[in-house]
Amino acid sequence: MKPDLSVSLGTLRLKNPVMSASGTFGYGLEFAPFYDISRLGAIVVKGLSIAPTPGNPPGRIVETSSGMLNAIGLQNIGAERFVADVAPRLSEAGATFAANIYGRTVEEYEAVAARLSELSSLAAIEVNASCPNVKEGGMAFGATPGGIALLTARVRKATGKPLWVKLSPNVADIASVAAAAEGAGADAVSLINTLVGMAVDHRTRRPKLSNVTGGLSGPAIKPVALRMVWEVCRRVNIPVIGIGGIQTAADALEFLLVGASAVQVGTANFRNPRACVEILEGIEAFLREERLPGIASFRGKLRL
Amino acid sequence: MYPSRMQFVAGKIVRNEGHGEIFYRLEAIVPEPVEFVPGQFAMVSGWPGNDPLLPRPLAIFRSGAAPKGKGTVVFVYKVVGRGTALLSGMHPGEPLSLTLPLGRGFDLGKDGRRYWLVGGGVGFSTVFPAAAALARRRTGYEMFLGSRTREQLPPKEWTPGGEARGRIHLCTEDGTAGYFGRVTDVVRERMAALSDAEASRLTILACGPRDMLKEIALAAASLGAEMQAALENHMACGFGVCWGCVVALREGEKTGYRRVCKEGPVFDAGEVVW
Repeated sequence: MKPDLSVSLGTLRLKNPVMSASGTFGYGLEFAPFYDISRLGAIVVKGLSIAPTPGNPPGRIVETSSGMLNAIGLQNIGAERFVADVAPRLSEAGATFAANIYGRTVEEYEAVAARLSELSSLAAIEVNASCPNVKEGGMAFGATPGGIALLTARVRKATGKPLWVKLSPNVADIASVAAAAEGAGADAVSLINTLVGMAVDHRTRRPKLSNVTGGLSGPAIKPVALRMVWEVCRRVNIPVIGIGGIQTAADALEFLLVGASAVQVGTANFRNPRACVEILEGIEAFLREERLPGIASFRGKLRL
Repeated sequence: MYPSRMQFVAGKIVRNEGHGEIFYRLEAIVPEPVEFVPGQFAMVSGWPGNDPLLPRPLAIFRSGAAPKGKGTVVFVYKVVGRGTALLSGMHPGEPLSLTLPLGRGFDLGKDGRRYWLVGGGVGFSTVFPAAAALARRRTGYEMFLGSRTREQLPPKEWTPGGEARGRIHLCTEDGTAGYFGRVTDVVRERMAALSDAEASRLTILACGPRDMLKEIALAAASLGAEMQAALENHMACGFGVCWGCVVALREGEKTGYRRVCKEGPVFDAGEVVW
């Protein structure tokens, strides 16, 4: 019997728990040459702002031990072009997609949320309250429970779509921030975004990123992400989407085990364009092997 | 289909040998033959584990057919860091992951052009395939190859041959082979000697250190010659989704960041903000 891979994120039902993480999957269509993108639970597209954004000057990425730092600066095509050019093609491809959004001000968040919500094909809005690479790129809101509550409440009013709030790990107590998002009307929280890091060159005496600091991602951050997801799952009653260093089906299963309802795969897409589907296939193989009827019989079953 | 559609494939190393002082030549078997435009590249990895995490961008040096409908691809690379060092230690029979062919290669399609190919350092690995393609259609060219010293010039047996083989100018910074000096200076001097009409027919295809490309690009622009520059950059994905490898390009009055892996690696040198 084929295991039931479907998962619920509040009112939204996904065919499986594997999504792409924003910023690592372009606008989704870039992966169509590698596999049928409609197979994914959802595609979360690169962070969109109301107007196109040029991004940071070069010196945007640095490889680090088992990870990488990025300071892309949210370069993106803007909401209008996404609505006009990309969304119809994602629908045509049969893909389920969510839009990650950000703004420099609360008003910009509201504007982009409202504009994208006009897309009937859009499954959800994920609020980036945690980009470490742009001044006022969300971190100002994401850093405290008060900030996240304010931002979440305002975006909540601007959209009728399922609302996910993507949390920064660069905070004192992520569970409190998650609880604030829940209290302000979020339908789910996704975590973690990147950890702020830095790389310098001791010969040139210069930082390796033009932005000086950047966001650390990849397998290096997985233990931190897993701990935070576990903490947040114990604190909130809304679904939690686990993100951070997921490279394999086993990694994804670990996040589900500590209570995540779904996962997002990020940096792994860079190294293996088929990472998401391979993880999906691996989860299914695991459920078969363990003779489990579906994700629900495994999720949150951590033995303590 | 030319070029082949981008794909992510499992390959196997057939040969991986050092040549001369600093170069390696890696040959791999892939599931099917790969057609590529000179200048296109592949993302290559194969070492075990997560460290280094990311594949390495390598220009495709050559490709061909192999028995049973399979293909071969050849890369020539220089060890510059941990990834290429690990790659250089891999053996025949070991697996590779490859995404290829990637990016936009040289535009060799124009008639009536006079081609100069310029390779600085390991940059020859990108311009040799262009030379081979020109030779195949009997278009003449001249090639300028520069390195620090004699041992760092490409081995002779790698030089594209054939009847239409163009003239090759070697340059070493220490004078141990060919012209005594930088390839940049040799190209600029030769360019300065061209008539306006000759310069306007000239297309330079170049790959090498950024300073070399910049100086030649500025000279080419001032003389009205066309130049296509193959750029390098650190890349995470190689196929346009991470936006990490951008370069600033002039677009009318403004500048914009374009991806070396997708809109490049070959750019109109006159548009690059050097």
